Amino acid sequence: MTRNAVGALLAAVTVATAAVLTTALMVDAQGPIRLGASLSLTGTYAKLGKNQHEGYQLCIKELNAKGGLLGRKVELVVYDDQSLPPTGVRLYEKLITEDKVDAVMGPYSSPITEAVANVTEKYKKVMVSPLAATTSIFKKEPRRRYIFMVISPAEGYLEGLIDIASKRGLKTVAVVNEDTLFSKAAAAGAVDLAKKKGMQVVFQEAYPKGNTDFSALLTKIKSTNADVIAAATYFDDAVALTRQMKELNVNPRMYGVTGGRRPPEFYDTLKGNAEYIYGATQWEPVLNYPGNKEFFESYKAEFKHEPSYHSTAGYAGCAIYAEGVKRAGSLEADKVREQLLKLETKTAFGDYKVDQDGFQLAHKMVTFQWQKEKKVVVWPDDLVQGKVLFPTPPWNQR
Amino acid sequence: MNVVITPAMVGQVVISGLLSGVLYGMVALGLALIFGVMRIINVAHGPLLMLGAYTTFFFYSTWGLNPYLTVPLSMLVLFGVGWLLERTLVFRVVDAPELSSLLLTFGISIALVNGAQLAFTSDLRAVEYLTGSWMVGPFALSKSRVIAFVFAGGLTAAAFLFLSYTRLGKAIRATSQSREVAMVCGIDVGAIHRLTFGLASALAAAGGALIAVIVAIQPEMGQIWTFKSFLVIVLGGAGNYPGALLGGMLLGLVEQLASLFLTTQLSEVVAYVLLVLVLLVRPTGLLGGRQT
Repeated sequence: MTRNAVGALLAAVTVATAAVLTTALMVDAQGPIRLGASLSLTGTYAKLGKNQHEGYQLCIKELNAKGGLLGRKVELVVYDDQSLPPTGVRLYEKLITEDKVDAVMGPYSSPITEAVANVTEKYKKVMVSPLAATTSIFKKEPRRRYIFMVISPAEGYLEGLIDIASKRGLKTVAVVNEDTLFSKAAAAGAVDLAKKKGMQVVFQEAYPKGNTDFSALLTKIKSTNADVIAAATYFDDAVALTRQMKELNVNPRMYGVTGGRRPPEFYDTLKGNAEYIYGATQWEPVLNYPGNKEFFESYKAEFKHEPSYHSTAGYAGCAIYAEGVKRAGSLEADKVREQLLKLETKTAFGDYKVDQDGFQLAHKMVTFQWQKEKKVVVWPDDLVQGKVLFPTPPWNQR
Repeated sequence: MNVVITPAMVGQVVISGLLSGVLYGMVALGLALIFGVMRIINVAHGPLLMLGAYTTFFFYSTWGLNPYLTVPLSMLVLFGVGWLLERTLVFRVVDAPELSSLLLTFGISIALVNGAQLAFTSDLRAVEYLTGSWMVGPFALSKSRVIAFVFAGGLTAAAFLFLSYTRLGKAIRATSQSREVAMVCGIDVGAIHRLTFGLASALAAAGGALIAVIVAIQPEMGQIWTFKSFLVIVLGGAGNYPGALLGGMLLGLVEQLASLFLTTQLSEVVAYVLLVLVLLVRPTGLLGGRQT
C-alpha cells in the first residue's frame, strides 16, 4: 500500500466517522417528536375530553416503550380548550406557530373539530380526529385534505335497529329526534335506511333540547301503531321518553335509542324499564377486536377507571397516526396523508379505512339490547353475543 | 305521516296538560309571592327547585324513604335555605333598583347550579319509584303525575288558605300591598320578607320533589322552571296569587295542545306568542296584577 493510499483510506475513515457521529448528534438534536392537541379538560365536555386525553397518553406511553416513532421519543403537548370552539382555534394556532409542534391530533367533539380544522388545513397539518362524528366536517367544499375520521358517523347510529327490524319483516317506523346537530343526523340516517329497506316512515318529529314532556308526541305515535320507534336521543330525553311510553302504554315491537354522549347510566336510571330497549355504541370492551382486551386492562391499571369509547377512539386515533408516519418513514404531511388514505387496519377500536376525503368507511357501529341488566351485542352479525329478544312485549305483560 | 287526531287523543293531552298545569301553578306561586311582597324577580327560583329535587333524591337513595314522604322534608330544608338566602343576601337589594335584584338572583342561580355540579356531578339521577299509569276508559293517567297533581293542588290550596286566613298570611298580603303601611301597623317587614322567601323556596322544593319522581334530575334542570314560572305569573298577572294557578293551567294546556296539533318544537313558540298576546291585550295579566 502506498503512502497516498493509506492517506486516502484514513481520510475516508475520518469522513465516514464524522458523518456517523454527526448523524447521531443530529438525532439527538432533533429531540422527541412533539404531538400537540387541545382537549376539553374543563367545561361541558370535561369528562369525555379527559377520557380522550387518557387514550392519547396510553398510546404514546406504549409507542415510547416500543422505541418511539422513527427512532425518536414521542411527547404530548396538551392545552385545555374549556369545551369552547374559539379557544380551540386559538390553541391550535399557538401549537403550530409558536410551539412549532411536529404534528397535531384532533380535539374532542364535532363543533370544536369543525372550528380547528380550518387552522390545521391552513398550515397543512395532518389531523387524525378521533372524536368527530359529523359527516359535514369531512365532506366540505372546498375539500379538506389533511383531516381523518376514526369513529362512525352519526347517520349510522340507528342502522342496526332498522336493519334488524327489516329482517324481521317489520314495515312501519316512527322516528323522533332532539333538534340538535348529532340527533338530526342520526334521525336522517334512520329515515334514509328505512326507506331503502322498503319500510314506511309513518311519523317523524323533532323536539327541542331539554324537553321532558312527550305526552302529545307519544299520543300521536301511538295512533300510528308504528312497529318500530327509532329515537335519536341524548340521555335525559331517552329516559323521559321511555318512562312516558310506559305511562301511555305505547307498545312498539322494537324501540331503540341512541346513547348520546353520557356514560352507561341508562340502566341505572331506568332499572327494569330499560329491558328490551336497543341502543347503539361506537365500541364496547367485550368486542373481539385485536388488542381490545389488553387495552382495556392496561387502561384500567393506568387510570384506575374503565375506558369509555372516547378513551378507545383517542387511543386508536393516535395509533393510526403513528402507523401512517411509520409507513411514510417521515413526518411530512403529504407523505403521511398518502399513507393514511391507503391504510386499512384494525385497532382495539375496530376497523379503519377512509375514502379520499378522510371520511370513515369501515368502522362499525354496534347495536346492543338491554337483556337482564346487561348490554348484549345483537348487531352486526359478525360481532353478536346473543339472540335478539323479539318482539318487545307490551308493558303490561312484563 | 298523516296522523289523524281523534277526540280521545285530544282528551288524553288535555288530561296531561291539566296534570302538569297545576304543578306549574304551584311552582309559579312561589315566584309570584316573592314578586308580590318584595318586588324581586327571583331568577334563582328554578335552581332552588333543583335543590329540592336533589334533597328528595338523597333522602330516597340514602335512607330509602318513600319519595312522597320526603316532600315535606324537602320543603323544610329549602324553607331554611330560602330564609338564609334572604337573611344574608337578598335583603340587601330589596330597595335597590330592579336591575340589582335581577343581577343578584342571577348570580345566586349560577352559584347554585355550578355548586350542584361540583357536589352532585352532572350525572343524571332518578327516583325510580312509581312508573306506569292507571287506565280510565281510553285514557292513561300517569301514576306519578296524578300524585304530583294531588300534592300540588293540596299545597296550593293550603298556601291560599294560609294567605287568606292566618295572621301571618294576612301580614304577608299587607306587606305586599304597602310596605310602609304594614310597617306602621307594627308588622316586622324584614321578618315577613324572610318568611316569604322561605315559603316560596319551599313551594319550589315541593315542585322539585314531585318532578324527581316523574323525570330524571340533573343540576341544570331548574332554569327552564324559572322561565316557565315567569311565563305563568305574567299570564296570570304578576303578583296576583290565584292568577298563578290559572296561568299554570293555561300554560299546561297550551303546551300540550300545540304539541298535538302542531309539533312539540312549536309548542314553546305558541306559549310565548300567547304571552305576547296577553301583554298586548291585557298588560296586567289575565286576572290583573297586584290584587292581593
